[in-house]
Amino acid sequence: MTDFKYVGKSIPKEDARAKATGRAVYMDDMRFPGMLYGKVVRCWEHAHAKVKSLDLSEAAKAPGVVKVLAPEDVTQQQYCCNLFDLMAPIPVSRDFFGDLEDESIFTDHVKHQGDAICGIIAKTEKDAERAAKLIKVEYELLPLYHNAKEANKPDAMQFHPDKPGNLAFQLPEQMFPDNAYGWGDVDDAMKEADLIVEDTFYVSKQKQAQMEPHGYIGHYDDMGRLNCWTTSQMPKCVHMKIAKLFALPMTQVKIMQTTIGGAFGGRLGMIGEPYACAMAMAVPGYHVKIMYTREEDWVASESRLPGDYWMKIGFKKDGTPVGVDARFMGDGGGYYTHANGVPFTTGAWLVGMYKWGTCRYKGERYFTNHAPCGAYRGYGNPQTNFVMEQLVDRGCKELGIDPVEWRTKWHKDVGDDGWVLGFQYASCALDTCLKEGAEAFGWKEKREKYANQTGIKRRGVGVACMTHTSGAMPMLLEHTLVVARLNEDATLEIMLGCSDLGTGAHSVLRTMAAETLGWPREDVHLLTGDSDANGFDIAAHASRTIYVGGGAVVSVCEEVIGQLKERAAKLLEVGGPDDIVMEGKNLFVKDHPEKSVSANSIAYDGVYNFVDPATGNRMGIPGQIVAYSSYFPKHNSPPFSAVFVEVEVDTETGQVELIDFLNAYDIGKAIHPGHVEGQLEGGAQQGLGHVLTEDMVYDEDCKIMNASFTDYKMLGPSDMPPMKIMLIEEGDPEGPFGAKSCGEPGLVNPVGATANAIYHATGIQFKKGPITPERILRGIKEKGLN
Amino acid sequence: MKTREITLYVNGEAYHLNVQVNRTLLQVLREDLDLVGTKYGCGTGECGACTVLLDDSDTMLSCLTLAATMDGKHITTIEGLEKDGKLDPIQEAFIETDAIQCGYCTSGMILKSKSLLAKNPKPTEKEIRTQLEGNICRCTGYVKIIDAVQKVSDNLSGK
Repeated sequence: MTDFKYVGKSIPKEDARAKATGRAVYMDDMRFPGMLYGKVVRCWEHAHAKVKSLDLSEAAKAPGVVKVLAPEDVTQQQYCCNLFDLMAPIPVSRDFFGDLEDESIFTDHVKHQGDAICGIIAKTEKDAERAAKLIKVEYELLPLYHNAKEANKPDAMQFHPDKPGNLAFQLPEQMFPDNAYGWGDVDDAMKEADLIVEDTFYVSKQKQAQMEPHGYIGHYDDMGRLNCWTTSQMPKCVHMKIAKLFALPMTQVKIMQTTIGGAFGGRLGMIGEPYACAMAMAVPGYHVKIMYTREEDWVASESRLPGDYWMKIGFKKDGTPVGVDARFMGDGGGYYTHANGVPFTTGAWLVGMYKWGTCRYKGERYFTNHAPCGAYRGYGNPQTNFVMEQLVDRGCKELGIDPVEWRTKWHKDVGDDGWVLGFQYASCALDTCLKEGAEAFGWKEKREKYANQTGIKRRGVGVACMTHTSGAMPMLLEHTLVVARLNEDATLEIMLGCSDLGTGAHSVLRTMAAETLGWPREDVHLLTGDSDANGFDIAAHASRTIYVGGGAVVSVCEEVIGQLKERAAKLLEVGGPDDIVMEGKNLFVKDHPEKSVSANSIAYDGVYNFVDPATGNRMGIPGQIVAYSSYFPKHNSPPFSAVFVEVEVDTETGQVELIDFLNAYDIGKAIHPGHVEGQLEGGAQQGLGHVLTEDMVYDEDCKIMNASFTDYKMLGPSDMPPMKIMLIEEGDPEGPFGAKSCGEPGLVNPVGATANAIYHATGIQFKKGPITPERILRGIKEKGLN
Repeated sequence: MKTREITLYVNGEAYHLNVQVNRTLLQVLREDLDLVGTKYGCGTGECGACTVLLDDSDTMLSCLTLAATMDGKHITTIEGLEKDGKLDPIQEAFIETDAIQCGYCTSGMILKSKSLLAKNPKPTEKEIRTQLEGNICRCTGYVKIIDAVQKVSDNLSGK
């Protein structure tokens, strides 16, 4: 076991003090002299309509109003808020995916409630809000489409001329024959099955509900630069997207991040940056701040992709899964957004989890008149978990096989293809997770104890597995540029674009740098959140920052060490850098510690390099040490996990009480155990909420009915079960220090495990998520208890 | 808009203010007094991010409180907990137990925790959970927040 100074220790994260004192600066805390306020005027009353007339004249005269912006007053360039067009090769995104740029800054065709129709810039937020009420709009109402089935009907109105049937996306034939992802002949295989389990489920529309609403500041400055402060989780892609949208070179656009109050995928891509920038360009020289209200954030920004999800699994009597056949039809909302992403990954997590004999997954996304769907922690994985894990348990029950035993036998393992076929798992500790997790949870005892209950309150235990990814390669681009500059006092400035969404990622990256160098953490600083200083980084998405950003940081530190050793070898007059050992800041000749030079003197002499007046020679080696790593990871080292949940179902009220929870998690190596636990615990709150309570509910007019923390129920402290997190550290051959990811996965398998625990308690599988008390009571009434 | 003259005591300092009667305490704290540690999360009293302390014991939601009604009241915001460069034990505990992730709920959560410990220095875990019900955290699953409160309670009782 390597003896680490920092890695594996839970050091308080460095922004914690600023946050504990209220001094951390979030978007709404930022102010500039003469700052103006922007209000995006949205259509609240309709979900599908044409703007027949828009009269801004009264609003323009209102007190405090500086400018009103109609659709024609801003750039007419359309855009897609998502960034997959940057992440995949252009022929793939354009020709195979059929990617669309179908969003306008302000639209005359409202496609969902909350769509933006115009803008107001005023001296105060209140002035802007009051003026918005003076705008006169006439709408022509258009037919409403709640879901994929309605939108796909032959007589349905087309959302976009290039997308017949309102099918925004399906797996493209050129890459996926028969528009399906998988292998083998599923139809043939199913003929060999002794048992077939099959059903159509509905996976719900969950909201990220990060605590800080979206916010932005735009500033078109006197040097013609467009500056934008953002809470985006992918600032460098926003940099390029904004430059393109406003036809500016990237040098004339600057993107800066503030402290980010949670993201969970909700800040992936562009959200409100186009509005803030368009408004800023309308009032050159002035800062324009846009803060979304909570309701705006809820109604108009993106959510998880819901939809009907059909699946069929064929088993042999001994449990052998001969095949899985599935089709997910996503209700995507009014715009293209992430149409090409989630319908693929939803299947990828199915492909990667178990050793199906054959597999055929079809994923589609349709336009509807609900709020657009985008990225949310898990990116298709919770959807698949809800369906796949329940059907596996149904098969296990029919066949009399223990669910833990089945999963232990049939999960994919080292050498098997992962979520991208042809790309094999390099490590997998799921056997350990299942074994040690089951023991610690008391799986066998509880499973037997709750087998035959008769009372009103019935307990049950469930298990579910999960695999995810550490970065999006090989499907999507994975790239982080890190530049490191050795200061003249031998401390290191590391510049990189990786975001910290509140996870502690920046602290951990600093730890990894210090550990690689063998220097105190204080001797390393990270410069982030500034597009002028930071090179390319794809984003804080796909649970990649510690794995890819960490890999990049380690590699740049190794490059710094290499340069120091090279100079030391010259100064000490030995063969080359391989003959030099660096311990802390001391560099010496191998086996000759007396022949040494300090990093401090190398660094100092490199910067303050003088000519010796006596000899005329330079003193030391000239040149400041700068290293860079344009880092592309070799792998995606998927993590695995087994979650165990115990519930108590009140069969008279339908209430589900969460009694116990355990996540045995294959982290490879926990660089910061406290942060890893925090990710898994926080993920569980969202996963348990996804399966039990969370869903955006729409009325018949496609208007949302629960856009508030009261009406959209998230689990609070009293609802949460006691939680145990078991970190299984067996290392990964590719990850930095053996680490794998933990950002998204914590949300995923609490979903399936809870559904399975309810199944164990009641004998009923609930196909429509979330599994609310109403649905439980209806299920009991229709099917009876076991 | 009508205004009202009030004297508001915030973090031990008296402020003589002429406030518009429709403005909330949250707006006055953030916009007039520049105390931006108190956060807007929902504006409707549902998330607890705007929690402040009243008379050092009760908590109140500043987004639901009209500033004009606060004449003569003593308010503590998150900025008022640090004394002479020394953090309050509950702030220290939140830092040490990793109870802070994105930090947006933290001000309200810390003040709520301070209030609950002021009233009940030895709360059970269940009491802590119940008391924190009105403060939403979307990052932590509440585990380490509850640990932090428990830790301060243990220290107070010399456990």
